[in-house]
Amino acid sequence: MKALNNLKLAQRIQLTIIPLMVVLFALAGLTLNYFSSTRTINNSIKEAHVYIDRLIDIVNIVELKTGKGLTSSDIFELKPYFIKPAFNKTDFPSLISKNGEFLIHTTRQGARLPIKAVQELKNLKANEGHLTYQDFTDSFTENRILVYKYYKPYNAYIAISVSPTEILEQVKVNRQALIIIVILSSLITALIVSLLLKPISRQLAHLSVRLKQLAHGEIPTYVKVTDKSELGNLANSLNGLIDGHKSTTEFAQQIEQNKLDFEFKPLSKNDQLGMALLQMRESLKRAQHEEAKRKEEDNIRTWVNVGLAKFGDILRQNNNDLSLLADSVIQNMVNYLNANQGGIFMVKDNESEKYLELLSAFAYNRKKFLQKNIMFGEGLVGTCAVEKQTIYLKEIPNDYIAITSGLGEATPTSLLIVPLKLEDEIFGVIEIASFNEFAPHQIEFVEKVSESIASTLNSVKNNIRTRELLEQSQQQREEMTAQEEEMRQNMEEMQATQEEMQRKNLELEIITSAINQSLVSCSLNEDGFITDSNIVFQELTGYGKAELEGKLLENLIVESQRQEYNKLWETVLNGQSVNTTLHLTGSNNNERFLLATLTPGFDPMGTLIKILLVGHDITEARKLEIMTQQQAREIEKNIKRVKEEQEISSQRQQEMETLLKALDQNCLITIIEPDGLITYINNKNVEVLGDRKEDIENRYLQDIDFTAKNKPKEFERFWKALHKGIKQTREFSLEVKGKTHWVLENYTPIMSEQGELYKIINIGIDITENKEKEFELNKVIEQLKQQLKK
Amino acid sequence: MQVTDQDLQYFINTIKSVSKYDFSEYSEKSLKRRLQKILEDYNLDIISLLTTLRLDRDFLEKVVKEITVNTTELFRDPPVWHLLRSRILPRFKNNKTINIWHAGCSTGQEVYSMLILLNEMGMLEKAKIFATDINSDVLDVAKQGVYKYRFNLGYLDNFDKVIKENPLNFEEYNDVPYEKYFDIDKVRDTITIKKTLTELPIFRKHDLVVDGNLFFAKFDLILCRNVIIYFNYSLQNKVFELFHNNLYSKGVLLLGMHETILGPWSSRFERLGQAYIKK
Repeated sequence: MKALNNLKLAQRIQLTIIPLMVVLFALAGLTLNYFSSTRTINNSIKEAHVYIDRLIDIVNIVELKTGKGLTSSDIFELKPYFIKPAFNKTDFPSLISKNGEFLIHTTRQGARLPIKAVQELKNLKANEGHLTYQDFTDSFTENRILVYKYYKPYNAYIAISVSPTEILEQVKVNRQALIIIVILSSLITALIVSLLLKPISRQLAHLSVRLKQLAHGEIPTYVKVTDKSELGNLANSLNGLIDGHKSTTEFAQQIEQNKLDFEFKPLSKNDQLGMALLQMRESLKRAQHEEAKRKEEDNIRTWVNVGLAKFGDILRQNNNDLSLLADSVIQNMVNYLNANQGGIFMVKDNESEKYLELLSAFAYNRKKFLQKNIMFGEGLVGTCAVEKQTIYLKEIPNDYIAITSGLGEATPTSLLIVPLKLEDEIFGVIEIASFNEFAPHQIEFVEKVSESIASTLNSVKNNIRTRELLEQSQQQREEMTAQEEEMRQNMEEMQATQEEMQRKNLELEIITSAINQSLVSCSLNEDGFITDSNIVFQELTGYGKAELEGKLLENLIVESQRQEYNKLWETVLNGQSVNTTLHLTGSNNNERFLLATLTPGFDPMGTLIKILLVGHDITEARKLEIMTQQQAREIEKNIKRVKEEQEISSQRQQEMETLLKALDQNCLITIIEPDGLITYINNKNVEVLGDRKEDIENRYLQDIDFTAKNKPKEFERFWKALHKGIKQTREFSLEVKGKTHWVLENYTPIMSEQGELYKIINIGIDITENKEKEFELNKVIEQLKQQLKK
Repeated sequence: MQVTDQDLQYFINTIKSVSKYDFSEYSEKSLKRRLQKILEDYNLDIISLLTTLRLDRDFLEKVVKEITVNTTELFRDPPVWHLLRSRILPRFKNNKTINIWHAGCSTGQEVYSMLILLNEMGMLEKAKIFATDINSDVLDVAKQGVYKYRFNLGYLDNFDKVIKENPLNFEEYNDVPYEKYFDIDKVRDTITIKKTLTELPIFRKHDLVVDGNLFFAKFDLILCRNVIIYFNYSLQNKVFELFHNNLYSKGVLLLGMHETILGPWSSRFERLGQAYIKK
């Protein structure tokens, strides 16, 4: 049974039901078998009785025939009726004597019934009936049923021995069928059982898995509900459970996340967990609420404390710069109160009256650069200063901020004006505007801080005054030092300047004295009048100093140069110094030349103050120059003449070139060296005689000349004459391309200055046409001569 | 204790040997007085001064700075500014650019005066302003353009004389407000040049004695006022040569009220008051 416990439910059912069914079916089969075989045997016994009765009928007939008693004829007569078995193979009818001897029997005639059976037969004492006996044969023992009827005439029993085995042979087939039926129905049953069990088992498995998960605290997925059976209900319930679990979990999570307003319905009125959670939530809510309340109170306390500390710091930190302090205070105040604008005013004393000066204003997160003074009693701020009481307005006139308070721009909804007072003395006013209402603790806070501010303002005021005084004196001292240093530098500069000027003056004096001793010098004013002159100038002009002063320089200049001078003067007046040679006429018409520089002098503003003339007497040099100029002029003339001649010769050269060009085009030109080397032939030569340039040039005349070849003596004469400088003329003809050309050659020797032959130039003229005409003329003359002879 | 020639020589040699500064051609008398002042201010004798100079580079720089004289003003010597306004700057009216070098600009007042004048003449856009000084401290001041107000009230007088009035025409009066160029804070006692002006010039530390021309440019106008008075004749001529070489032809060199070019370079310039025009 323990092993069974470990099996799955389905398996368990299968394991128990299927054998049970098999046993039951087998039992049924066996019972059936038993009853049917009993009935069959009984039927067979009845049938045997019937068969016996019919045999008795036959026996009766035979008895009648044969006479009384059993005789051999009876046996003989009866035998054929006993040959055939009644129904089966071995149930031969028989005639058995009282002592059990088979009187008639097909197979066992003469044999005996077993003694037990005979005994029993005797004991029964019945005339008919049946008994069961054990029949022994040679080979086997068999239970048989002997159906018998006592036949009185023969004093014997007519019997049939039936073999139940044989009878039951027929029933055997039935039994096999029965077995098959049992097996089949067992199998079918098993199949049906398993088919029925499978979904249930699966469902159970699903349920079990989920239940297991639930048991582990997990949230399983829903089970699919397939039917409305108990299992379906179970699944539904499980789903419900999962739902509940889910929602409870979610609720718990929400609580954990502090979402206490999460909607949660308990699964039922009796949902203990749900209800417990709801209660927990409620108590949490309560606790939180209380906590929040406590926290808020704490917050307020902390806010106030932190604020006081913060402003304490601020007031301590910036207490050397009032405007910085005010900026910081008002900015922090506005931010700390979550307000949007604010201003801090400080009481100032005018000689006559007290007023409030806006130290700093801060609005919408930026500093405002405003300047405003409010008289005591003027507006809310002024009133606050007079009354020394906090003013808190929840409704502000539309234009209040813009007009009265000096904070400008939009109109917030709440306005708090707190006096900055210390021991009933007012030091200023702080004004804060907000779009939110101020909480009582905020107002209280501002009032508290105001005292500190007032106290700091007081001390800062004093500090600043002290420091200002200190700084002022320090600054003055520094300034004094700086100024002293600057003054010292100025002094140094002045001194250096002075020294420089002294040095310059010294230098100028030297220059001036040098000028005065060696150079002509005079000063002129801007109109050209001489204002001062040195001795050299006086000597030059022959006038005295007094005579020169007030004289126009122009008047000393020769008439012919005055125009030029006036032009120069203009240039000088324009600020340029000018170098020139002045031609002056002295006192006794003494002509003098002066190489002079006219320099304009300006004051620092650039205004002309005087013109200085410095010059050098170049009269002697000038005279020399004039002479030189005359010589130069002559040289120039010569040069001109030479140039003219050069021009002429170049003209000639040009003409020559033209001529040569013409010659080159019309004549055959050959240039020959004294030794006979031909250095040049012109194109005409090539054209007429057909020899290429390179065939002729750089060869010797004596090598290629016909005369030299044919008449050496004549050539020698010709050549010698040329070397002596005598011109030679000769004529020759040459056949070129089937045409006879006649050329008249003029050899011109060119002699060097030493009388030696320098070059020979041969100018040849193509006279072919002339020759041809000459020939024709000669012919005509010949003809005429002959005609004349005739 | 009086500074002797010997002391001065030691001082010059010491400085020359440990730094690139060379005071050997400075005006002896002036240098002697400055040295005297330094000895007195630091309460040192010449030996300890020279020792400290050798050992302490920062101290040397400080001494060099104290030797230099940084006197300047806004529109100093108004007649010179009139000259600039009426005779010199108009010469460059048709130039595409005007290069101006303030050699020895000190604390920058002259530079800003020039910028203001140029602006009033409508020439500021063309101008490129270079300003140099040997003293980096004064250059820092110059870059800031913040000056003492009360001590320098004369600035505003000068401004009036140069910008508002015209000496050539007494009826003319240009009412240019100070706020156009300065922020005057009487409480802080400052007169501050507007940022639009202070960011224009290029300020550089520069020693006229050794540094030559720092800028890769020639100039139309060089202002070197009250500088050469501290130099001797030889150094003056060197400086004139430097200026001459770095001026465009017809470029103008403007010297201080009492400074003149004598000697070899005088013939290379045409003089117009304090202005010397390169021939």
